[in-house]
Amino acid sequence: MSIFEDMRNKQEELLRTERLPHVWCPGCGIGIVLNAFLRAVIRRKIDPEKLVVVSGIGCTGRTAGYVNVDSFHTTHGRAIPFATGIKFARPDLNVVVFSGDGDLFAIGGNHFVNAARRNHDLLIIAVNNFTYGMTGGQHGPTTPTGAYTTTTPYGNPDRPFNIPHLAISLGVPFVARWTTYHVNQLQNSIYKALGMKGFRLVEIISQCPTVYGRRNSMKSPLSMMEYFQKNSIIKPNASFEEMELTYNGKIVVGEFRVRTNIPTYEERFDDVIRRAQNEN
Amino acid sequence: MTQKKYERKAVVKILEDRCKGCWYCVNYCPTKVLVISDKMNAKGYHPPEFREDKEHVCIACHLCELYCPDFAIFVEELK
Ligand SMILES: Cc1ncc(C[n+]2csc(CCOP(=O)(O)OP(=O)(O)O)c2C)c(N)n1
Ligand code: SF4
Ligand code: SF4
Ligand code: SF4
Ligand SMILES: [Mg+2]
Repeated sequence: MSIFEDMRNKQEELLRTERLPHVWCPGCGIGIVLNAFLRAVIRRKIDPEKLVVVSGIGCTGRTAGYVNVDSFHTTHGRAIPFATGIKFARPDLNVVVFSGDGDLFAIGGNHFVNAARRNHDLLIIAVNNFTYGMTGGQHGPTTPTGAYTTTTPYGNPDRPFNIPHLAISLGVPFVARWTTYHVNQLQNSIYKALGMKGFRLVEIISQCPTVYGRRNSMKSPLSMMEYFQKNSIIKPNASFEEMELTYNGKIVVGEFRVRTNIPTYEERFDDVIRRAQNEN
Repeated sequence: MTQKKYERKAVVKILEDRCKGCWYCVNYCPTKVLVISDKMNAKGYHPPEFREDKEHVCIACHLCELYCPDFAIFVEELK
């Protein structure tokens, strides 16, 4: 058996196959991200017993229900606090947060910035489809200025978060962005991130043809994929301005920051405990 | 006669009931051996068909597997 066949078979073992086909729409990018994530886990030879996947609410949040490892489908916006608690209680586990842009950066935004600032030992897979997919396509904090959504029928007046810039400003040791077109690079970045410690963020620009693409002249799954293919620029040393996403504009992708020597919150906390114990 | 460029390396199995007919596999297969078909699965989607001919063979690149959002593809390599 070739390594690819072996990986594909192991991927089936990491899925709750009895629940497939999954709920995601035809061509939804979340399945591509999950596909890449599972391959990276297999390549890292992570013991499934030592892996926990935590999701919030939303289409992306449904991921927790399809992985055949211990998983948590938490309340909306609270995936990171749940994950933080799991990591604290069981430092031996690899804790991965797999959630959507609305969940992580709208209702969960404050948890994101503070967990990032403290450098909690978590891998965050952030599926950014520019919208609240599950609830029908409202605009959110990642919707590009000018985009049409159910709540911005004349174009979005808001300015979206520049997610990599935000993470880098908080000292996050690993920050990468890819689109679902970049299936290999995406898998490689997750693989690399799984081998590191601290707060690691992989943002994936993903297609929601059903409620976002439809209102923005990209109704078919392939038309959204073509947009990613034609407009992505790989630039690891991109400036903050270049990382900004604009409506139907260029998408700058790459591994923007890779640092290996920043102590995690958990390590600093252990240190505090050691010092306290030495005093007695 | 056109010279055959590639050697036949694998056969592709499609779990038709998982497929949702997004056509990523069809679009990104470099040798175009996955084609849109008229077949319909239980949910009403059209799974692709694996169709090789003299000039189009599967080169076992596994790209179709990587792009499939629905875990519907297995590329089985020929020994
Ligand atoms: C406390 C609370 N507020 C609002 C909602 C409604 N709600 C469900 S999913 C969602 C947004 C999901 O967006 P995102 O995280 O981007 O996920 P997607 O569906 O796009 O993958 C919202 C607002 C909720 N379930 N709970
Ligand atoms: S609504 Fe959008 S994000 Fe949700 S499953 Fe459908 S395509 Fe995916
Ligand atoms: S493995 Fe490669 S060549 Fe074979 S069907 Fe899939 S995409 Fe095409
Ligand atoms: S990529 Fe998967 S779901 Fe899409 S058409 Fe091909 S087999 Fe079907
Ligand atoms: Mg979303």
